[in-house]
Amino acid sequence: MAKWGMVIDLDKCTGCQACTTACSMENNTLPGESWQDVLFYHEGEYPSAQMKWLPRPCMQCEKPSCVYVCPTRATYKDEEAGGIVFVDWNKCIGCKYCMIACPYGVRFYADEQPLVEPDIRDVYPGENGQMWSPPYQNPEQDWRRGIGIQPKGVVSKCTFCHHKVSKAPDGVADLDEDDPDLVEYVPACVRTCPPKARFFGDLDNPESNVNRLIGDKHGVRLLDHTGNRPQVYYLGAGAGIPAFSPRKS
Amino acid sequence: MNVLNALINRRRFLQVTGATAAVAAGGVGLQGFSPAAEGQVGRSTSGNTVVTKSICHQCPARCGINVYTTNGRVHAIYGDPGNPIANGKLCPKGHLGTYLLYDPDRFKGPMKRTNPRKGRDEDPGFVPISWDEALDTVAERLNRLRESGESHRFAHFYGRGWGSSDAGLYGDFGKLYGTPNSAIGHASICAEGSKRAKQATDGNNSYNAYDYRNTNYILNFGASFLEAFRPYNYLMQVWGHMRSKSPQTRITTIDVRMNPTMAASDRYLMIKPGTDGAMALAIAHVILTEGLWDKEFVGDFRDGRNQFRTGQSIRPARFEERWTHGIADWWNEELKDRTPEWAEQITTIPARHIVTVAREFATTRPAMAIMERGPTAHFNGTYNGMAIHALNALVGTMFAEGGMFYQMGVPYGSLPVDADDYMDDYAREMQGKYPRIDMAGTEKWPMAGTMMQETAKHHLAGDPYRLDTAMFFLTNPIWSAPDPHLWEEALKDVFIIETSPYPGETAVYADLILPEHTYLERLQDSPTYPFEGWPMTALRVPAVDPVYDTKHFGDMLIEIGKRIDGPMGDYYRELGDVENILRHRAAGFVDNPGDNGVNDFESWKEKGVWYKKPYHWRYWRGSFWEWDGEGYNVEMSEADVGEKLLRTPTGKFEFKSGFLERHAGYIAQEMGIPENRVGIIQWVEPVHTGGGDLHFVTPKTPLHAEGRSANIPQAQAYMQPIVGGRGTCYLEIHPDTARQRGIADGDRVRISAEVRGERKSILAVARYMPAHRPDTLVLPMEYGHWAQGRWATAEGRDIKPGHSGDITENLSDPISGLASYYTAKVTLEKA
Ligand code: SF4
Ligand code: SF4
Ligand code: SF4
Repeated sequence: MAKWGMVIDLDKCTGCQACTTACSMENNTLPGESWQDVLFYHEGEYPSAQMKWLPRPCMQCEKPSCVYVCPTRATYKDEEAGGIVFVDWNKCIGCKYCMIACPYGVRFYADEQPLVEPDIRDVYPGENGQMWSPPYQNPEQDWRRGIGIQPKGVVSKCTFCHHKVSKAPDGVADLDEDDPDLVEYVPACVRTCPPKARFFGDLDNPESNVNRLIGDKHGVRLLDHTGNRPQVYYLGAGAGIPAFSPRKS
Repeated sequence: MNVLNALINRRRFLQVTGATAAVAAGGVGLQGFSPAAEGQVGRSTSGNTVVTKSICHQCPARCGINVYTTNGRVHAIYGDPGNPIANGKLCPKGHLGTYLLYDPDRFKGPMKRTNPRKGRDEDPGFVPISWDEALDTVAERLNRLRESGESHRFAHFYGRGWGSSDAGLYGDFGKLYGTPNSAIGHASICAEGSKRAKQATDGNNSYNAYDYRNTNYILNFGASFLEAFRPYNYLMQVWGHMRSKSPQTRITTIDVRMNPTMAASDRYLMIKPGTDGAMALAIAHVILTEGLWDKEFVGDFRDGRNQFRTGQSIRPARFEERWTHGIADWWNEELKDRTPEWAEQITTIPARHIVTVAREFATTRPAMAIMERGPTAHFNGTYNGMAIHALNALVGTMFAEGGMFYQMGVPYGSLPVDADDYMDDYAREMQGKYPRIDMAGTEKWPMAGTMMQETAKHHLAGDPYRLDTAMFFLTNPIWSAPDPHLWEEALKDVFIIETSPYPGETAVYADLILPEHTYLERLQDSPTYPFEGWPMTALRVPAVDPVYDTKHFGDMLIEIGKRIDGPMGDYYRELGDVENILRHRAAGFVDNPGDNGVNDFESWKEKGVWYKKPYHWRYWRGSFWEWDGEGYNVEMSEADVGEKLLRTPTGKFEFKSGFLERHAGYIAQEMGIPENRVGIIQWVEPVHTGGGDLHFVTPKTPLHAEGRSANIPQAQAYMQPIVGGRGTCYLEIHPDTARQRGIADGDRVRISAEVRGERKSILAVARYMPAHRPDTLVLPMEYGHWAQGRWATAEGRDIKPGHSGDITENLSDPISGLASYYTAKVTLEKA
């Protein structure tokens, strides 16, 4: 089985958030439930300030702290699925321990007050146990892997678009959206990224393009000192991301 | 343990696992947990997913899209890999298109107003009617106007027209019906300034096509390359290419605020609003004094010795110009004193940076200087734009590899009928009898193609006349024009026909609602905006049957036309419908198959796009060459270049503009420039409106879908990532500027400006952004709707800012007519 990895080149990323909206529509997340988000930072002052940004999916950690703290084993790492970390919505009790344990802030508990009002969950009320049921939802659904629209009271997160990548032919080194035979298996965020700043492939295959990029461009993993060992690598000058400091206001 | 007890008591948990017993057993009943048989398991896309070709509707990029529909429901939109602009990619807006299809606030069918009073807060009292009644009502009005000889009092207004199947129908409609107002376009509240700057210098009244893939240097003046410049999606793709090719394309960006383009460039310079022209002139000054201009394009001193010295005139006879006109006059009358030190005083950009940029730009080839609304949405916009565009002539960019060109047209087949054969005496009599309601092209706005923003004023004054009936298509000036309150007054006594599928501000004043299809329901062609020069036209194919009782705008026009008395009705009966038009257009592909094999209507529908490379002209080392089917093998004569490429009065790139000189009297009167100087590319002071002390800019962010994202909750969630504007937009302000006014980060503020002599204000919440200029406030234009749907108008927990248009004076560049959206100066106080 492949070990799926993602590479994000911050020298090419334009901060456009297409990855974010592609993910939100593919996975029918709520406004603000950003499985894939782009975080902006600025430092310094006019006329020499810098601004940079960081697209951030779930890191699908090799040593996922979220998994270790989950009291119900709802969160689990599936080596058979390429090392993707899933939430089984049939088991999750919404205790949010995993959200606290994750160093990257990529888990969501969507039962809160809505970010954008009026609440879209009132506009498209849930059916068949779903938290909300918009008319445009993706037919793909698998609650054991946190795919589709969640029920109330569970934690949700990026699935590396398992419903797509799991259908890729066995043994493929990279899922490149420019290959017409593979485009439908590429995660939504990678597939749409306009400057082609995102890459997806097999980290266990030394011949894969993702490994070559990590090698050539000195890929780094975020917060490596936590020991979580992400399966997402960053390239480029922007990869030294400052510590997050919440706004005072 | 309490926590767990509380959690375990969740209703869903009880339902799914029947865990009541576990709780009773002491709260540690997690061992009783097993994969729940009742829980939902897998469900997958079945074989009946259909992929349809269409075109995104949310900006002028016109990206080809693949629309995924399963069981009649659209659930995904991705870029079409076969479309040369999309290349399988989309910008953040593209994916959100399904929201526009399933917008719960859409109009469900045609309606008429029952409340005769009009106002923001008046309920129109719409009642549903049939399409026949709706179209008959319109036709009756139009026939009546014609009978009384007043057909000029009917006007069409449009914004984002697409092609020959909608906006392309206006011309013939106006001609046959007898109105000069078919149609008033929105270009003058859009980006007309750059077009006029190009017309005045290289003779092409158009946006440029660009060869970004092969350029090595971009000098970007206020084109929001990574946020809103067209075609946005493609620009990001080519950005990825430029930033990883060898040699890497170097990019310098000049803008008035911190933004992603600035941040991602190699160098950014934050200029004072409205002064880009001064910077461009100083760059030209350095290029000339240092002898760095392209001698093959511009020419050279006859003796080969550079005589451009700061402050000193040259003898015109000593310079032999090649493909340009007027360099000696430009230097002697203007440029010789436009030093970097002079420009520093005006722009606040240090002279040493200007020198560095000038040297880098002129010694890295191919190079291009690009611009859009930033420098041109000011009183001096055309002159700013001309100064910038002149840099392209100085470094030999025009029509060169890695340079810029103009867009070729599509070889469409002709329509089955010719409108000239269906004009009656009345229609002929009306031709040229009345000016347009906006007075574009009259002595009032002689160089403007359209002046939509003047309409309300003219109607209210009855000068040149009052409108009777107006039909709106994809434009909403009652909200988006500068000083929109005037439109509210004006539209009260005009019979308004609104065709938007969404309940926008125009609809509140409408007498009839004729809702068109949303874009995923339409069959519609869309020739490209200037892209890479070679011709291209894409096609929308309906992904689903219309969700509601709506109509294609083109079919509405045709159906109204059929109901007009006289030969006009016959014309539209012959024309048939939109599909018939498109079939005739596609007939042009039979002899001109596209590169992707598209050669008729059916293959166009299947592939979604027709295009044919290459571009037909190329400048190379001093000469122009034309494509002969195999290569750029035919050298062009000067006359040929003047006719096809540099379409100015002299057939050269004009540093001294013949186009402006033709209107010398007008320009002298409106701008105070001596008549004998109007043709010179020169520095003109901006005229700032508003009467305040802080510049106010209102950019489009990447999520701004031309007014329609206001009702897309997902777009609002990501509207302004720079300062954390999620679900709202903040006023971005330098902390020093805020503190001087006692404003803390997160405080509510009041932004005020003079509009028509009255003080107008909007509210917003301030966020500190130390990267901005201390003299410039930034408020992305998006909020402040008083219609457009539940999300657009909601008062949520987050305070949303008011509408920037409310404090924007209606002042335009006298040459291009472009509204000066970015020129206001405002005052700011804690609210
Ligand atoms: S990033 Fe967070 S949620 Fe994702 S696997 Fe790592 S610890 Fe778990
Ligand atoms: S889509 Fe690509 S370029 Fe845009 S923010 Fe995401 S990673 Fe960056
Ligand atoms: S750039 Fe974005 S909004 Fe514009 S047409 Fe393309 S996908 Fe749509």
